[in-house]
Amino acid sequence: MRKPLVLRHPSILVFLGVLAVFTVAVTILSTGYGTGPISTSMVKTLGKTLCLALAAVAMDLVWGYAGILSLGQMAFFALGGYMIGMWLMVARTEGIVTGTLANLPIPPTDTEISAAVATQIFGVVGSDQFPLIWAFSGSLWGQLLMVVLVPGLLALVFGWLAFRSRVNGVYLSILTQAMTLALALYLFQNDSGLRGNNGLSGLQNIPGLDAVGQEKLSIWFLWASAVALGLGYLLIAWVASGKFGSVTRAIRDDEARVRFLGYSVEGYKLVVFVLAAVVTAIAGALYYPQAGIINPAELAPIASIYLAVWVAIGGRGRLYGAAIGAVFVSMLSSWFTGGRAPDVNLGFYTIKWVDWWQVLLGLSFVLVTLFAPKGISGLVDWFEGLRPPRRRGAALGPDMGSLREKEAVE
Amino acid sequence: MTALLEVRGISVSFDGFRAINNLSFEIGECELRAIIGPNGAGKTTFMDIVTGKTRPNEGQVLWGEGSKSLLRMNESQIAQAGIGRKFQRPTVFEDQTVAENLTMALSAPRGPFSVLRWRPSADSAARVAELAAEVGLAEHLSRKSGELSHGQKQWLEIGMLLAQDPRLLLVDEPAAGMTLAEREQTTTLLRRLSEKHAVVVVEHDMDFVRRLDCKVTVLHEGSVLAEGSLDHVTANPEVIEVYLGRG
Amino acid sequence: MRLFLLALAFVALALPFAAQAQSPDLGAVIAQHRDQIEKPSRQSVGPVIEAIAASGPLGAALLQAWGDRLLAIRKSDGLLVITAPDGDGLTLTDAATGAGLGAAAEGDVTLLRPNSGVRGVISAALAGNALSDPDPKRRIEALDSLSRRADASQLALLRQALDDPDPALAARKARLERLLTIQYDPDPAARITAIESFGGDSGLDFRASLNPILTTRRVALEQVPADANIARKLSLGSDLSRDEAYAMLVADGTAPARLTSDAMRATLAQHIADGMVGGVSLAQLGDQAARDRAYTALETQGIVQPAASEAEVDAALSRYNFLDLYAEPDADVTTSARAALRGTETRIGLMQAADLSLDALSLASIYFLAAIGLAVTFGVMGVINMAHGEFIMMGAYTGYVVQQFITDKTVSLIVALPLAFVVTFAAGVALERLVIRHLYKRPLETLLATFGVSIALQQLAKNIFGTQARPLTSPAWLDGALTFNDVVSISYIRIAIFVLAMVFLGLYLFIMNRTRLGLEVRAVTQNPGMAASMGISPDRINMLTFGLGSGIAGIAGVAIGLFAKVTSELGSDYIVQSFMTVVVGGVGNIWGTLAGAALIGFLQKGIEWFNPANTLAAQTYMILFIIIFIQFRPRGIIAAKGRAAGA
Repeated sequence: MRKPLVLRHPSILVFLGVLAVFTVAVTILSTGYGTGPISTSMVKTLGKTLCLALAAVAMDLVWGYAGILSLGQMAFFALGGYMIGMWLMVARTEGIVTGTLANLPIPPTDTEISAAVATQIFGVVGSDQFPLIWAFSGSLWGQLLMVVLVPGLLALVFGWLAFRSRVNGVYLSILTQAMTLALALYLFQNDSGLRGNNGLSGLQNIPGLDAVGQEKLSIWFLWASAVALGLGYLLIAWVASGKFGSVTRAIRDDEARVRFLGYSVEGYKLVVFVLAAVVTAIAGALYYPQAGIINPAELAPIASIYLAVWVAIGGRGRLYGAAIGAVFVSMLSSWFTGGRAPDVNLGFYTIKWVDWWQVLLGLSFVLVTLFAPKGISGLVDWFEGLRPPRRRGAALGPDMGSLREKEAVE
Repeated sequence: MTALLEVRGISVSFDGFRAINNLSFEIGECELRAIIGPNGAGKTTFMDIVTGKTRPNEGQVLWGEGSKSLLRMNESQIAQAGIGRKFQRPTVFEDQTVAENLTMALSAPRGPFSVLRWRPSADSAARVAELAAEVGLAEHLSRKSGELSHGQKQWLEIGMLLAQDPRLLLVDEPAAGMTLAEREQTTTLLRRLSEKHAVVVVEHDMDFVRRLDCKVTVLHEGSVLAEGSLDHVTANPEVIEVYLGRG
Repeated sequence: MRLFLLALAFVALALPFAAQAQSPDLGAVIAQHRDQIEKPSRQSVGPVIEAIAASGPLGAALLQAWGDRLLAIRKSDGLLVITAPDGDGLTLTDAATGAGLGAAAEGDVTLLRPNSGVRGVISAALAGNALSDPDPKRRIEALDSLSRRADASQLALLRQALDDPDPALAARKARLERLLTIQYDPDPAARITAIESFGGDSGLDFRASLNPILTTRRVALEQVPADANIARKLSLGSDLSRDEAYAMLVADGTAPARLTSDAMRATLAQHIADGMVGGVSLAQLGDQAARDRAYTALETQGIVQPAASEAEVDAALSRYNFLDLYAEPDADVTTSARAALRGTETRIGLMQAADLSLDALSLASIYFLAAIGLAVTFGVMGVINMAHGEFIMMGAYTGYVVQQFITDKTVSLIVALPLAFVVTFAAGVALERLVIRHLYKRPLETLLATFGVSIALQQLAKNIFGTQARPLTSPAWLDGALTFNDVVSISYIRIAIFVLAMVFLGLYLFIMNRTRLGLEVRAVTQNPGMAASMGISPDRINMLTFGLGSGIAGIAGVAIGLFAKVTSELGSDYIVQSFMTVVVGGVGNIWGTLAGAALIGFLQKGIEWFNPANTLAAQTYMILFIIIFIQFRPRGIIAAKGRAAGA
């Protein structure tokens, strides 16, 4: 009797449609499979942007729906990248090392290969042994499992500790920020087992697929990212709809009241937080093979704040808003910082956007927060004729994360 | 009569101020009880303790047949055990529709994974419609509750309490901000509720309490000053002094 | 050697009297001892050298030249001359009179070449001479060089020059004498007495004198000699791995090397025949067991050297004792030295703890300075200001700019501090008016909006000042450090920062508790509605409070800029720690901020102490600790109490 999810929420259908058209269009225009106006590096940028959009959608579940302003999401993103990067690096180095050793008169033993791989990978941090955390790095399936397990467990433990003691609001934001900072500082050490500040590199070379070529691989990854974004969007839309979504939004607006209804707020927050962490990690696992390199700087707190900024500019509390925000801001950002934006000559001073883009972004973000809390999604509402309720400035709930008057729809 | 809720010798203090002082209280199954007292008598703190929002410094709060201690439970566990609470100011989820508010309150498994699997059924829809009709919001099911009038929000919250189907209802100043007609309606509703549930009403308004026509507990400075019928307690000189002496 | 030293000491003691008795005429001395000068022997040269030394500066110059192998005999007349290399030839000076004799070719003279023993006696005489020099400067120089390059021969010299008119120098000499006794005295009892005389002294020099006694070397011995002074018996497996132990035997040449896999591989590769090695096909050799088989086959054919087997290794290891032996043969001395060192280590540990506490205190002061402005805005107003770090940065840049105009560092600092306050106060008020005012009660949005301000300000600073670090130089009187002893010291700049932190604490308390503004701020914090109805404008108070918090950040920026690099990222380096400080301390209470800063500062230094090489790890563990701390005290060390706290 109930209509399927996508029909109840037409925005899902529109989103998936746009995503599909976009992916096919890029493929047709790509160097690898089509006519070629879009360069391989551009395809990679677009694929990476889709991964960022997926991370933003997960961020929206946490912030827009559950009201938790997590400033540590990129820790999960980078962890996902590290986990897949471990396999990529080991498998590829193994291929190279085996090739070199095969030229010797006597074929190498497994131990010799493994020792040579370890020296190759960890020589840069002065070690020649695999650290314990690389135990599964030889197996693709093992590391794929780790992509989900490691960030999921981190989110579970951290979330359990934080939610259990009812840390919320600004405190929770600062705590999540501290979490990612601690992880980044830890990974910066040479003996962290993940090559310190060198990070993992050469991730764009997929073992066994050397013959395929980057121009085709980039399209494969674009498709993989698009599929991941589509599925992730569906999953999160499903979670955020229905009664679970209802309870989650209720927690965002007034968590004390939800408790008196008999719902364990901590449990819901934990489920949302862990789910978002896992989705973010998967996005990261697809992102870094396209980026080619990952290092601890990726976990810097500022990266996670940017994620929140994208969601805010897109319009929080609606999944397509988060995706649009991530795509819009990161593409605009690479346009401005890539030196492609024309300079503005004011006569007495020439504005070089490479230098001024951050200033523009910062200020426009302040303006969005102040005057258009709905962000880009506000345009959608305006188009559909939806207006915010008239509440004389009162938010929709007593909690810090609750929707503001201008964010809500009548 | 076995007590549904038994509160034994609880005390709580904030910064040295004793909000509740060695308070004992009992209420049985399907009993209607009014709690009155001047400002600062500890009425709201008492409800906070029973619902798990505040932990007492000493004393016991026992619940149900097994005399389970509520002190070791958190708010949501206490609510699941069957204690519902209505706040003084209407608190509903303003960004959600009346139907969503009621659906959330419907008694059903409360765990995150059960809720994820939960699907609306014909039964649940019917129950929501029935509850909405009972509180006069049948036409407003798909409206966001933030747009309702103050009185409608009060009713929605009462509807949510009914949906929760608790064994004990704690109602904080239900008549506040209601018109005379609405008060009549509320009185009737509370009396009807007390046929199947235990109900504790905290109220300032003596007329309203008189209309409830039930046993009354008078709180003063954090402990019970008098208990009995309204006529009995109003005849108590101490009660008169507390009410009149303070103005 | 011992006899010689005694003799030398005797001579040295006797000689001053002899020197006084004799005529100090150098010429006569030279004439008298001519044969000894030309062909000196270590045993008998002592009196000659003393006689020369006693004749004054000319004698000293002669000795110097003699020791440096620059003394020569002019072939033409047999005159004793001091030579100095000059281009291809030499410049000559009469050794007896110091008169210049002009240039000469190398062939014109016969250089005297005293052996090293004689030269040792000469240099000791020179030093000993200087130790008793009437000029205190020269005595200090001699003492300095003696303590830098002490050896056995100087002990006696020092002993005979112990008397000194300057009591400080006398004390130094006495101390040095005891130190040298510890190392070089032939009598163990004297050495032990000297060691014990230091008590728990923690001086670096004392420890340095003990360390050579306690140096050990690791040996593998079949028979342990009865008189061996053993520091430690090593047990295989726990103290020393079997591989290390066996490597020692191999290095000593007492056991054959074990076959490494690389060596085995190389050997096998040498014996490939028809795609086979020892009957095993090459394709199979990618497996250790197959390689072992092939090697054994080669061994049995007698083609390769048999490698040490596991059993042989075991046997060899069990035959030997592995020991750490003291270089010092006397067990009593090492025992006493070890006890003394342990005693000093305790004291040094305490002092290091004191030094660490000073470090921690200054770190805490820095955090406190960085956080106090935040404590005002976050604690009092509940406003998260992510741009706080950028206000610190603005303060630091203000200091830098002021220094461009005022060259006198002290004056520029005096100008910069209030100016930084004014600049950041204005910036804070502007931020409050334009942004934060519209977002009260929405702390999460405030956080994000001020983050936007923060990245804009950072980039602006980059555009104006560039990406490279700008110097903010402290006045000269802030250079240097207050040194208590070898271990405990603190730089003046850190003391200044501590003082500044205390001044701010006092100022804050004064403003909050003693002024009208403070009263109004507290009123607005507790109940804005009530405050407004009493005629206090919450708008104005919020603006002033925010300005005040920002202004303090600016002053903190100047202070931080004095020891850190001034870059556009200066602020973001401190922002997370500042938030931690406020959150850990407890919001809304300056004592909480103080406690938070102290906790974080001491904790970070404490963790660094356990793992000094790794400050990154220290920060990681500190943040982990804070995350866990918040679990147990979500409202900080000094929590706001009562009903208000729940709101």
